[in-house]
Amino acid sequence: MPDAGIGGESLETKEKDENKNRWGNEGQKVIMLVENLSKTYMQGKIPVHALRCACITVRKGDLLAIMGPSGSGKSTLLALIGTLEKATDGKIILDGIDLTSVPENLLPRVRREKIGFIFQHYNLVPTLSALENVELAMRFSKVTKKDRRERAKSLLEDLGLGDRLNHKPAELSGGEQQRVSIARALANKPALILADEPTGEVDTKTRDSIIRVFKELSQKGQTIIVVTHDPEVAKECSRVLRIRDGMIKD
Amino acid sequence: MLDLIIRNITNRKIRSALTICGIALGIFAVIVMGAMSENFNQTFERSISVTSDKIRIFSESGVFGGGLTDDKVSDVLRVAGVKDAYGILMTTFDEDKMGMTGKQILGVPPEKSSVALYPVELKSGRFLNSGDSYSVVVGNSIKREYNLQVGSKFEIHDKYFTVVGILDYTGSIFDSAVIIPLKTAQNLYSMGNSVSYIFAVPDERVDAEMLSKRIELSVKGTSTLSPKELEVQAEQSFMIFSVITISSGLLAAIIGGLSVMNTMLMSVSERTREFGILKAIGAETQDILLLTLGEASFMGFLGGTLGIIVGVVAVHIINAWLATTRIVLFMITPRLLIIAMLFALLIGALSGLYPAYRASKMSPMEALKHA
Repeated sequence: MPDAGIGGESLETKEKDENKNRWGNEGQKVIMLVENLSKTYMQGKIPVHALRCACITVRKGDLLAIMGPSGSGKSTLLALIGTLEKATDGKIILDGIDLTSVPENLLPRVRREKIGFIFQHYNLVPTLSALENVELAMRFSKVTKKDRRERAKSLLEDLGLGDRLNHKPAELSGGEQQRVSIARALANKPALILADEPTGEVDTKTRDSIIRVFKELSQKGQTIIVVTHDPEVAKECSRVLRIRDGMIKD
Repeated sequence: MLDLIIRNITNRKIRSALTICGIALGIFAVIVMGAMSENFNQTFERSISVTSDKIRIFSESGVFGGGLTDDKVSDVLRVAGVKDAYGILMTTFDEDKMGMTGKQILGVPPEKSSVALYPVELKSGRFLNSGDSYSVVVGNSIKREYNLQVGSKFEIHDKYFTVVGILDYTGSIFDSAVIIPLKTAQNLYSMGNSVSYIFAVPDERVDAEMLSKRIELSVKGTSTLSPKELEVQAEQSFMIFSVITISSGLLAAIIGGLSVMNTMLMSVSERTREFGILKAIGAETQDILLLTLGEASFMGFLGGTLGIIVGVVAVHIINAWLATTRIVLFMITPRLLIIAMLFALLIGALSGLYPAYRASKMSPMEALKHA
């Protein structure tokens, strides 16, 4: 993304020591660096500090859990990293790009090329089939119809949905819908996947299968940040960040 | 993108169908009213072109005021610059139908009939000649309706006339004209020596506008209409008619457009979350605009196509039905079809503009929070 006005220099020098990396990612390059990130909302004339001076270093292949009570700022952090909201202060450097200085009109391109989203409520387009939902993400990247169909099919087959390609979301179980959502997040080969409560709506068996998918992806080098309430999910992640009243505790 | 647009329209079948019908109804009205206007326009233009080189002289008290007689012709001929002049008596052919069929009796001096009808040409036979009294030249529509040929007998006002000539098709009022000698017409309808108009033909080097004014000043009790004034008057009359007919069609189409806007606003509101998803996965503002505007325009296109098809069929049926009475009310022209389709697309696109703008300006985060 050279026209985003961001240098592509290695962030190796800025990385911090991460001893808790369960997958042995210490030697991996830092894929994301969050520095003094803050978000303040105004409720009328009263400022509400949703996030205060958050600093996070994420390496390639990390499976990072963010935990915290409701209203602690987890989703705000995810929205800021995902460029869905603008930070009040601080920096987010993802894959060499300073997301906080990317012009508004280039943010969709950043989201397309660098970030994949997985939502608690799956957020699939109800009128499209599983295959078309996955293709949708590549459509905006101007991937040819043939290529996007092949990739979407391959991703869904890898996630065990080879026989559900043409089913609409309403015809799929919660777990299947979430796997379609994972396939969609992976479609554009993003540097980072952001998952907001991905197991919040599924039973324990499905939750375990989703975690298994995340771990496999992480081991293949895919960086994932998961916001969760579930300690069982956090336990399976390589690192856990706890957040309370907008403050991060690693 | 077109597949997504079509998918979104077909996913809301009933609502989309009703919206498309709304536009179709509006465009149907545009086609029907427009076809009526086009028919009048063409008839007007052709009729005026036939008399465009002549000055029309009528009684000061108007066409129906009477008072214009044959005697005035010689007065007109005395005015310097007048090359020729002749009176015409005009009356309805179907008195029992109040002239609704458009068929007219034209009483013309027989020796002037070729000049009076110029540039209309004969399809067969001849024009009226001096000495003709119960001879008739008929327009093309009259010929078809009464299955006439040169030599046929034709009954007018209880008298039998011999058809001596049949005019070529002109698309003007002359197609429905029955041309008989002036004196015969005056006797037949007990009009004494009255005429409806006097036509004055200016000399080649004379300015028709100036001559028109001169005739008005020289021949007492007359008003004149120069070729230019006639054109302006005709254009004004036609413009008023067009505005009334077409605006009623446009009004219906605008109402159809409002139904598109309503549908699109509902659709955008219902799909707020969907737009949030699209934005989160990287859709650009123009992608959302294109998608929403495309849906509205496509519905406009479908509504326009349907309206045009139904309109053309309806006009065809009505024209065919009226063919027995020889009344032609509608004329479909390529210009009308193009205008109707462009209008349907414009209505669709304009109606989709605001919903599309709203959809494209949504914050992805807010849209995703939408239930």
